[in-house]
Amino acid sequence: MADNGAQEAAVDISVSARASIPFGDNSVWADVSPLLESACKDLRDGDLIHGDNFNLFAAMSALEIMDPKMDSGIVCKYYSVDEAIENGAAPVPISFDKTVDVQRTIDIMDHLLACEATWHKGHSLAQTVFSCIYLLRPDRTSSHALLHSYCRVIRATCKAVISVVSDARTHEEEDLFTMAYGLPLDGDGDEKCLSLLNAVEETTSRQLRACKAQSSRRRVLEDIEPLQTNLDLEEGYCKALLCRLRFRKHFYHVLTSMRRPQGRGLELARKHISSCILELECILKSSEFLRSSACGSCEDVLDDSTTGSGCQPVGFDASLNSRLSAPTPPRAIKILSWKKAIEYFVKLLHDLDILCSYSLDPLLEGVLQFLVQFQKSQPDLVARSHLQLLLLQDGKLYGRDSIFAVITRAAALPEVTKNHNIQKNEYIVQLGQLVINMLKILCTNAAWQRRKLGKMLQDWRVIYVQLELVFRKDFGEVSSIPDDENICVKIFQHILLWVEEQTYWIASRFLILGFELELYSPSEYCMVYWYIYVVLIKLAEKTHLKMATRNDTSKRKAKKKRDSLKDMGREYRIPPAVLFVQCQMFLVEGLTMLLAALANEHMIVQSPSPFNTEQERFIQHFELLQKACVPDHISYPSFKESTAYARFSMPRGLQRRPRVVLPMTLKNWLNSER
Amino acid sequence: MDTKNEEEETRKVEFEPVEIEYVSYGGEHHLPLIMSLVDQELSEPYSIFTYRYFVYLWPQLSFLAFHQGKCVGTVVCKMGQHRNTFRGYIAMLVVIKPYRSRGIATELVTRSIKVMMESGCEEVTLEAEVTNKGALALYGRLGFIRAKRLFHYYLNGVDAFRLKLLFPSPELFSSLPMITNNEDSHRHTDHMPPEECCELH
Repeated sequence: MADNGAQEAAVDISVSARASIPFGDNSVWADVSPLLESACKDLRDGDLIHGDNFNLFAAMSALEIMDPKMDSGIVCKYYSVDEAIENGAAPVPISFDKTVDVQRTIDIMDHLLACEATWHKGHSLAQTVFSCIYLLRPDRTSSHALLHSYCRVIRATCKAVISVVSDARTHEEEDLFTMAYGLPLDGDGDEKCLSLLNAVEETTSRQLRACKAQSSRRRVLEDIEPLQTNLDLEEGYCKALLCRLRFRKHFYHVLTSMRRPQGRGLELARKHISSCILELECILKSSEFLRSSACGSCEDVLDDSTTGSGCQPVGFDASLNSRLSAPTPPRAIKILSWKKAIEYFVKLLHDLDILCSYSLDPLLEGVLQFLVQFQKSQPDLVARSHLQLLLLQDGKLYGRDSIFAVITRAAALPEVTKNHNIQKNEYIVQLGQLVINMLKILCTNAAWQRRKLGKMLQDWRVIYVQLELVFRKDFGEVSSIPDDENICVKIFQHILLWVEEQTYWIASRFLILGFELELYSPSEYCMVYWYIYVVLIKLAEKTHLKMATRNDTSKRKAKKKRDSLKDMGREYRIPPAVLFVQCQMFLVEGLTMLLAALANEHMIVQSPSPFNTEQERFIQHFELLQKACVPDHISYPSFKESTAYARFSMPRGLQRRPRVVLPMTLKNWLNSER
Repeated sequence: MDTKNEEEETRKVEFEPVEIEYVSYGGEHHLPLIMSLVDQELSEPYSIFTYRYFVYLWPQLSFLAFHQGKCVGTVVCKMGQHRNTFRGYIAMLVVIKPYRSRGIATELVTRSIKVMMESGCEEVTLEAEVTNKGALALYGRLGFIRAKRLFHYYLNGVDAFRLKLLFPSPELFSSLPMITNNEDSHRHTDHMPPEECCELH
C-alpha cells in the first residue's frame, strides 16, 4: 500500500523554478510535496519510523521544517551574503552624503564593539562580530579608508584574542568562543592593521586641527579635505572618530604586549590599558553629540541601543552565518547594549591591569592567594585566559621557574634543593603535573573549578600514597643514613607534608566555593561549616608541622655551627600563616555550634523531606571528600555526635562551653603548643 | 534547557485541591495535551520526536493534572542506567499560570518520583535555572540538593543547578517516616508552594 502511493506521487514530481535559490552544479530542485503527502497518509496517529539507535540526542536534534523556532532557514531574509550585498545591505560607500557616511561608519564601529562584548560573554563569533557583512567580504571596503582599517584591526584583534583563549584551553567553555570555521579571520594584510589605522588616525587628527584652526579664524595650515560636509559638526565627528580609532590601537597593543614571554611586556601593557580606559571615557561622552546630530528617524534612544547615536547600524545580518554556527539550530541572540559593552571592556581592562601589576610572586602560597583574590571579582573568559598564560608558559611558573623549584620552595626546603636529582623520580614528575593542572583549574570559572577541585582530591591522595611508599622502600629507617641520602630523606619528608597540606587546602577551597556558587541551602549550612572546620584543623596541623620541621632543620644546623647560645632564649611563636588558618577554624567552629544550637533548641525547624533524610544530603555534598578520605574517619554519625549537645543556655550546675568533640590528635597537638 | 520563571499577575482560578484529578499517561490521546502545555509555556521548541521518546519508553513516569476536564499541568520523565547508577530524570514540568502556587506541580513530581523509587532508582536528577526560585524551593523541600552549578548552561547566559535526590539505601528504607502517609498531606497542603516551572534537559 505504502509503496504504490509513493510511486504514484513520484511520477508527479515537477521541477519548480525558484529563482532566488540557484541550482547546484549536479543538482536540480524538485517539488516533493505530493510524495510527502502520500507518505503521511500511510502512517497512523502515533506511528513513528525510527532506527534502533534513535536516542534522546537524535530526537532533540531533529527539527520540524518551516517551524521558525527550529528551522533557521525560514527566518532568513537573504539566502547568502552575496544576495544580501546585491540587495544593498552593505553599501560601499555607506552613503554618498559624506556626513551620513561618517555617522553610519561610527554606528558600525559602535555596534561592532557591542558585538565583540557579546562574543566575549559567551556567544558565537559568527552571530556576533561576523554578523557584519563588511567583515565577511574584506576586499569590498578597500576604497573606504575608515571602514577598511577598522575592519582590519577588528579581525586582527579577534584573531589575537582567539589565540590566547585557545592556548589556555581547559574545557568546553572555550569551544564556542574559538569556533571560527568558515569565517574570514585571516584577512590578507591584517598584520599591517596598525599602520593602516595610524594613517587614518593621522588624517583625522589633521582634519580636527584644520577645523579648529578655521573656527578660531587662524590661517588654515592644513590643506586637507574635511571629514564631512557640515562644518558645524566637523569637530564633534573628528573627535568621536579619533577616540574610537585610538581605543582600537591601544587595545591591540595591550594584547600583543601581554603575550610577550615571561611577563616582559606587562609594564608597557599597563600604559596602553590606561590609554584604552581614557579613550573609552571619550567614546562614552561622544554619545551626547552623536545623538543630537543623528540624522534619519531615530526614536528616543533606548537604554539597550547598540550604538552611541541610538540609530540602527547598517550592514549587519546575523542570520547569514546560521549555517556556520553550531549544528543545533541557532537561536536568535541579543546583542549587548552599547553602554553595557563599554562597561564590559572597562572591567576587562581593569582585570588585565591587575594581572599586569602582579608581582610574579615565586612562592606558591602567594600565587594561590593571588588567584583566590583575583577570582573574587568574577573575571570573564578573556581575562582568565590571560591569567593562565601569565602563570604557566612552557610548563614553568611565569615561564621562568621550574615546577620542582616551586614545590621545594612551597615545601619549606632550602633553595639548594631545587636542582636535586630527585625531580626525575616518576612520582615527583607526576606531582609536578598535578601542580600545573591545579593552577590551570584555579584560572577557570568558579562552577567548573569547583567540580574539578573535588575530583582532584583523589589524585592528590593517590600521589601521597605513592610517594610515601617510595620513601619507605628507599629509606626504611631514618637513622644511620649517609649525608647525601639524608638530603633525600629531608626532601621527601617535606614534600610529603606539603602534599598533605596542599590537599587540605584544595578541600577547603572546594567547600568554600560552594557558598559562592550558592550550592548550599540554609538547612545545610551547619554540616558544611562543620566539614570546613574538620578540614581546617588538618590544614592548620599540616602547615604548622611543615614549618616546625623546617625550624628543626635549621636549628640542627645552627647547633652544628655552635650558635646554640643565640637559639636558647628564643620564644617559639606560631607562624602567621598558621594563625590565619586557626582564626578561620574558630570562626567556622562558632558558626557550626551556633546553627546546631539553634536547631537543638528548636529555634530553626526543618520540615523533613518525604524522600530522604539529612544523612543522604550529607553523603551527596561530601561524596568526593569522603571518597578521597580527606580527612579520614569523618562521617555523618561523627557530625551528629559533635553537634548533639550544642545549646545556648545550660543549667547553672552544668555550665560548660559547647564545643566540638575534637579528635585526639588535635587535642594533644593544641595542648603541646600552649 | 529552558525554564519559565514568570511572576506576572494572572487571574487565578479558584478550586479545591480535591478537584484536581491526577492521571498517569494513558496513550496517544494525552500527547497533544502535553505538547500544547509545554509549547505554550516554553520558548524552547521541541520536536514531536522528543515527546514521543519520553512517553513511549516511560509512560508510567508521566502524569497529567486535570481540572474539570481541562489539562492544567504535566510532568514528563525518564529513567535508566547512567554510568554506575540507575537514575531518574525529570525532563519537563508545567502548570499553567492560573493554577500555580497550589501544590499541583509538587503533586505531579511526587507521583513520578514515587514510581522511580519503586522501580529501583537510586537517585533522581534534573537541571533548573539558578534564577528559578520556585523550582529550587519545590525540589529543595522534596530533598534535592544542588549538586553542581553549570556555567552559562542556558542560551541567554544564565547558569543552571544540577539538582539531585539521593534515595536512602535499602537498609534504611523502612526507617523513613514520611513515605507511607504522603498522599493525604500533599492533597490538603496549606502552605504556599512557590511558582511552578518548566525544565528540560
